[in-house]
Amino acid sequence: MLDQYRDDCPTAFNLARRDVLLGGLLIGGIAALPTLAAIAAPTSWSDHSAARFMEISSLLVPHHLKEEIGKRMGAAMAALNPSLSQQIDELLSIARQKNARIVEDFFADVPDGPLKETALSIISAWYLGVVTNAPDAEVFAYEYALMYQPTRDVMTIPSYAISAPNRWTAEAPPLSNMPEF
Amino acid sequence: MASDYNADVVIVGTGVVGCLIAEQALEAGLSVLMLEAGPRVDRWRIVENFRNLPPSLRLFHWNAPYPATPWAPHLETRTAKEQEQYLQLEGPNARAYLQGYVRYAGGATWHWAGICWRLTPEDMRLKSLYGVGRDWPFSHDVIEPYYTRAEYAIGVSGPSDPTLQWPPNAKRSKPYPMGPIPFGPGEHRFTEAAARIGMINLPAPQARNSGVSYGGRPPCCGNNNCFPVCPIAAKYDAATALPKIEAKGGKILANAVVYRIETGEKNSIEAVHFFDPDKRSHRVTAKLFVIACNGIETPKLLLLSKDERNPNGVANSSDQVGRNMMDQPKLTAELELQEPLWTGVGPVQSSSILNTTQGEFRSRYAGAMFRMENFARSPLGAAAALKKGLVGRALDVEIRRLSACTARLTVEHEILPSTNNRLTLSSQKDWLGINKPNIHYDVGDYVRQSAKEYTVPRLQQLAAELGATKFQLSPEFLNSDHIMGGCVMGAEPATAVVDADCRAHDHPNLFLPGGGAMPSATASNSTLTMTALALKAADAITNQLRHG
Repeated sequence: MLDQYRDDCPTAFNLARRDVLLGGLLIGGIAALPTLAAIAAPTSWSDHSAARFMEISSLLVPHHLKEEIGKRMGAAMAALNPSLSQQIDELLSIARQKNARIVEDFFADVPDGPLKETALSIISAWYLGVVTNAPDAEVFAYEYALMYQPTRDVMTIPSYAISAPNRWTAEAPPLSNMPEF
Repeated sequence: MASDYNADVVIVGTGVVGCLIAEQALEAGLSVLMLEAGPRVDRWRIVENFRNLPPSLRLFHWNAPYPATPWAPHLETRTAKEQEQYLQLEGPNARAYLQGYVRYAGGATWHWAGICWRLTPEDMRLKSLYGVGRDWPFSHDVIEPYYTRAEYAIGVSGPSDPTLQWPPNAKRSKPYPMGPIPFGPGEHRFTEAAARIGMINLPAPQARNSGVSYGGRPPCCGNNNCFPVCPIAAKYDAATALPKIEAKGGKILANAVVYRIETGEKNSIEAVHFFDPDKRSHRVTAKLFVIACNGIETPKLLLLSKDERNPNGVANSSDQVGRNMMDQPKLTAELELQEPLWTGVGPVQSSSILNTTQGEFRSRYAGAMFRMENFARSPLGAAAALKKGLVGRALDVEIRRLSACTARLTVEHEILPSTNNRLTLSSQKDWLGINKPNIHYDVGDYVRQSAKEYTVPRLQQLAAELGATKFQLSPEFLNSDHIMGGCVMGAEPATAVVDADCRAHDHPNLFLPGGGAMPSATASNSTLTMTALALKAADAITNQLRHG
C-alpha cells in the first residue's frame, strides 16, 4: 500500500465521494452502487409509473427531457414521497381538464400545499439534477441539468470546455436572446 | 537506529514547494524521497467526485471533491459539524482562518486559482517604509531572478505590455513564458467600470497555459473550474509534476504521515518518522530534510517534535514557530445589477486590482486587492429563481437574468504579522493520535480600520459603477486560503525561525520553505512568492550538499 500506485487507499477508505458518504452501507465498494438504487426504489414504481412521471414532467418543464434521467429521478422521488404516484395522477388530471400543453396552461389551477410542492419539486429536480440539494444527495444529471441551459450561449458548464484555447471573447448576446433547449 | 528508507534529500509534502525542490535536487544528482501524508489520486476521480456533488456543494466547498482519509484529515465543510472536526479555531476572527488545503499528493495545488502575482519592492520593506510589520532579510532585486525561474518552472501566462504588468516599479529579467489569457465579458466590463474610478484591473499572471501547450500540459480551454479542479491539467498542479519527478528518479511515498522529526548530535536532523495507514511507524534518514507540508502542517510537525535538545519544538529556539499566522482577511459583496455582466467565461479568476495595495496609507491601515469572481453563476441563478416558485418561460428568463446580472466582488486585505496569531497543538487528537492544530486568530485593527475607512467604501463605489441595485456585504472576515507566517524568516535567530534561504536557524540540515517563511503577507496571492522561495532554498540545498 505504501507505493506509488494511484487511488492507493485501502478499499475501506475508497475515495470516490459517494462511497465515503454511504461508507457504512456498502460492503463491496463501488460495485454495490447499482443495487443500492434498486433497493431504494419502491416496488410500486413500475414502468407505468415512470411513464406517468415523464408525462407530467413534460407538462411541467417545457424542454427536451431525457427519459433515462427521468426514470432514475422519478424512482428516487417516489422513495422519498409515498404519495408521488397519486399526486402525479392529480396533476395530470388538472392538466387534462385545462387541455394543457405547457405548464402555464394549468399551473395556476394547482392548489397550494403538497400538490404544488410536488409539482415544484419535479421542476426543481430537472433543473438542478438532484432530488434533494443536500450534502448526501445523489446526482442524476450534471451537464443535462437544465440550470445551465438558459445561459448556455455565454456561460460555461463548469468543467466542460467552452470553445477552444483562447477562443472565448468579451462579446455576449443580449439578455433577451433566450437559447432554445 | 535502523531506518526503513534513506535518501540524500527527504522532502515532507508534495505541493508546489516540495515538487520544485525535488526536481532541482534530482537535476543536481541527488537522490530524493518525498513523503506525502495523504493518498495519490487520479484527476478523473476528482472530476467525477466534483460532478457528483449536489449543486449546493459545487461552489464555495472546494474541499468537497477531496474526501480526507482518516490518517490525513483536512478541513471538510459539507456540513457545519464536519467543518469543526479538524482545524480547531478560536479568537475574534476564528472564521477567517478556516483554511482549505488538500492532504493529497499534489497538495493544495489541486484547487489553487493559479494566480501568480509578484511582490512589490515596498511589500518587502514594510517596517522601514511604513513602520509596521517586518522587513524581509533581502531586497526585491534578490528575489526577482527566482520569480522569473518560478514563472518558467510552473508555466505562467501574463501580459507582455509593461503597463499591464505587476509590480509597476520593478524590472523583469525575462518576459512571461506565455501571453495573457483573454477576458470574458464579465472581466472586460468590470475592468472598464473600475477604470472609471481609478482602480486598475490587471490581467492576472496565471499558471495556466495560454493558447499553447507548456510543461507537458495542454492549453486552457476555459473550463471555468480551476477550483476545485482543472479537469484538463491546463493549470499547474503538483499532480502533473509528480510523474516528472519519478521520471528523474525521485521516489514518492503516499499515505506516509510524518509525525516526528528526530534530532541528533549538534542538533542536526537525523530522521523523520511516519505512520502508514496500518499505524505502523517507519524511520527515514537523509543528509538533509525539507519540511514543506503547508503553512499549518509544517509548524504543527515542528511543535510535535519537541525533544530534550529542543524543548519548545524543533527549529523553535526563537519561540516563533506557529506564531505570526497570516492570510488575507477577505470580505465579499454580493451584487445584483441592472445590466448583464456575464461571468463564467474563461478561468474562474483571471484579473485583479492591485494599485489599491500600495501607498503611504499603509502606515495606518491595510492595503487590499479587489477582484470580481469569474465563476459561472448559472447554478446560483437557477437556485434563486427556483426558490421564487417560478415555472415555465418565467423561470428560464429569471435564471438567465439572475445568472447574468449578479456578481460577487472580493476584497483581500494585507494583514500584519502578530505573535498572538498563533498555532498551537490542540488537546484533541486525530485518528492516528496526532494532535490537531489549534489556531487563535484576530485580523487586527490594521485590517479593521482599512475595511472601515478604505475598502468597504471602495467596494460600494465599485458596485455603484457596475450599476448595482443590491449590495450585500459578508458579515465577517473570511479566509483566502493563503497560509503564511508560521515559520517566519529573518536574519536574527532570536526573532526568526528560518534564514534568507529558508534554512532553520537551529538546524543546519533542515529547510522550511513556503508560505510559512514569508515575513509579510501583502494583499496578493502568495504562491509565486512561495515558489520563488522554494527555488532559492533549492539552490542553497544543492550547494550545501555538493560542498558540505
